[in-house]
Formats: sequence, C-alpha cells, structure tokens
Amino acid sequence: MVVLLVVSLTIISVDLNGRTHSLTSGVKSVANNIFSPIRGAVVDVFSPIGNFFAGALHYGSVQSENEKLQATIGALHAEAAEKAFQQKQLRQLAALENIPYLQSLSTVTAQTINENSSNFTSTITIDKGRSSGVDVGMPVVAAGGLVGQVIQSFSRSSVVQLVNDGQSKVGANNLANTVLGTVDGQGPTAPMTLDQVPFDTPVHKGDLLYTSGLDASAYPPGIPVARIASFHNTPGAVQETITVTPAADLHSALSYVDVVQYQPVPSP
Amino acid sequence: MTPRVVLRLALVTFALLVLQTTIVLSVRIDGVHPDLVWLLAITAALLDGPETGAIVGFWAGLAFDLVLPTPLGLSALVGCILGYSTGMAVGSVDRRARWLAPVAAAFGAAAADMLFAVLGGIFGQQQMVQINFLAVALVVGLSSALLVIPVNWLMRWALFPDGVDRSLVSAQSTSSRPW
Repeated sequence: MVVLLVVSLTIISVDLNGRTHSLTSGVKSVANNIFSPIRGAVVDVFSPIGNFFAGALHYGSVQSENEKLQATIGALHAEAAEKAFQQKQLRQLAALENIPYLQSLSTVTAQTINENSSNFTSTITIDKGRSSGVDVGMPVVAAGGLVGQVIQSFSRSSVVQLVNDGQSKVGANNLANTVLGTVDGQGPTAPMTLDQVPFDTPVHKGDLLYTSGLDASAYPPGIPVARIASFHNTPGAVQETITVTPAADLHSALSYVDVVQYQPVPSP
Repeated sequence: MTPRVVLRLALVTFALLVLQTTIVLSVRIDGVHPDLVWLLAITAALLDGPETGAIVGFWAGLAFDLVLPTPLGLSALVGCILGYSTGMAVGSVDRRARWLAPVAAAFGAAAADMLFAVLGGIFGQQQMVQINFLAVALVVGLSSALLVIPVNWLMRWALFPDGVDRSLVSAQSTSSRPW
C-alpha cells in the first residue's frame, strides 16, 4: 500500500514538473495513439445506444433545443438577404482592424470526438494531432469565436482546454480598446469573469471582447472571446466585477472546430 | 496473483475503460457522467480485501489516467486509497449482505470523486475544485450503486477464475507478490 502511494505521488510529481513532463506526456501520447482507434471503432458501433439513453434522459431539453434551432433557422433566413452586404463590411473591417488570424494564419479543421472526458475539466478531444500540424498551445476557434487552446497533442488526436475551464486565462480587450483585462474560466458550470479591469472603467453590457495579443500572448489578436453579460462596481474594490459569456457556443456547436496554427512571438 | 488473474483483471479494466470513454460519456445528468474507474477498486476490495482493492485501484486508476486530461497518477493514487479504505471499512461486515455492494459503491465512488478533486486542487489544478460537488456526488454515487452489480460480476470472474472465493492475497507469502 505504502509503495503504491509513493509510486503514485512520484508519477504525479514527474507529470506536473515542467522539466520531466515530456516523459509522461510521451507515455500518454503512446497510450492515446493505441487507444484512439479502438475507441473510435467502439463509438461507431455503439453510439446509437449511447444516443438512445442520452436522448431518453434529456428528452425535454432536446425538445426545447429543437424549438430554439427552429427559431434560429427563421432568423437566419431573415438575415440571409443582408449577408452579402455584411460580408463586404466584415472584410473591410477585418482589413481595417488588421486581424492576423483571418489573413495569414493557416487553420486545420478538426472534428470533436469527445467532450468533457472527465467531470473535473472542461475539455474536448479532436481528431487531429501532430501528424496534421496541431501542436500544444495552438488556439482553437469555432464559428462564434475562441473555443480554447490545445493542451495535449498526440499523433492523431489532441485535447483542447475550453475557455470556460478553471485553468483558462485569456488576455482580452474591446474593439475601442477602452477595456483591457483577463477572461478567466471558472469551470464548466460557473460563468466566466473578466478580471483586472480597473474600478469605474466604462463597460457596456453586450460588448464583445477580443484576444488582445499583447506581450507574447498565447493567442493572436482579434479573435472574439466573450461578451459582457453583467458588471458592477463594489465600493472599495480595486477592480470591477464583470461576468462574461463565451463568444463561441461551447455547448452545442462544437462538432467541428478550427485549430489556428499560431505560435506566440517570444518576448524580447 | 496468477498470470491468469492478472490477464483477466487487465481485460476487465480495458473493457470498462472503453465503456467509460464511449457510452458512459454520452450519458450525462446535469453535465456529470458516471465514473466507472472507482468501481474496480471498490469491487476488488469487497471481494478480496483491502490489499487487493489497493492494487486493483492503483492499476485501474493508472490506466484511466493515460486517457484523461487530468494529471497522470492522480486516479491511481485515489484508486489505491479507495480500494484500501473500502476493504478496511467493510472488514467487519458480512460480505454476503445484498445491500453492501450498492452502499459501498455509492459512498465510495462519491468520496473518491471528492478526494480526486481536492487532491487535484492541492496539486495545482484549481479547475478541479471549481465544480458542482453536489451534482457530481449525487450522479456518481447513484450511478455507481446501480453499475456496481455488473462490475462485481466481472471482478469476481477476474479474481476467482476457478469460481472459488478464496483470498488471493493471504494465500501467498508477501515476498512472492508481484507488486
């Protein structure tokens, strides 16, 4: 018993130590390369069974989600007429704002094969890995904006830490650059916060926040991260209390994501 | 532990690992899914005592750690503690009691998840304590109470290939144990 405890603690120490982490990540990589195809085959065979139980458990939410989707389709039809004009405007804005990830950075489209494999982390697993040019640290985006960052990369799959994970921190600002702070994940069930915004900074509900790209940030500038949901100033506090919602839909729109092949520029 | 037992334990662990990462992941209540890994330690402890529980919990946890995004070795540590604790806790209870396995599974699995989160937090993984503890404890505890029955059959098949319930640990001298 004591030997097993010591061995466990040693493995954890090796895994969490920055200098020896490559050893354990190598072992995990080999295990995932072997396990992924087996898991994939089992999913193909048994996914209808899992879907059946999931559908039975969540019938009410599936029904309401269907109604919401119907409403969304209607809204999209209405917007379609304006789309060409908006696209033209968007291209002009993108050029004006010089958003680098839209212009020069290449992306790898990946399919999500697993969501929240642990009850304690907010992650997804995608079907692209090092063999497709996906590496640790690369930002991951979906239609709405930033989804997260690659934290583990194996040969044919990768693990992405979502922006609402408790370990996620993203430097962000608004379009006018009047609000600068850190979008801080608080776990899958709690709302994200925008931290380090000085007291009395003027903010507006609904404002979209973008990756700032400052100081060798892990993310290129200009990717939508979150939208301000609520804010208040507490007397005596040094910073505002701001809650935000992810710009990307992290619950139902992550079937496919784009991995941005971006490596941060090291600080001088 | 004979090679036959080790092979059967490996097969059962692998089968549960595949189940966990496929079907079980898609069964979520309030965003929480059942955790099968703890059932291996609990059933091994119920069937063959604290030492076997600790050993099975350690290796099963290590196997699950390989495919989870949490720190490598954390599930092994918790599995080891869980297996040993369960074996010790039920030491004075009649193991033929029908209520024992579901009750041990419910409380053991819920406690293991709490310990897993707290240890993760201590090891610097702050996101692991930013969860809805009540939802995790309820979903994992109740699902474990149900799922322990089939896992108990599998564990009995793995630990006692001859169909005879005799302790594998006490039958051997300490020096001959492979761990």
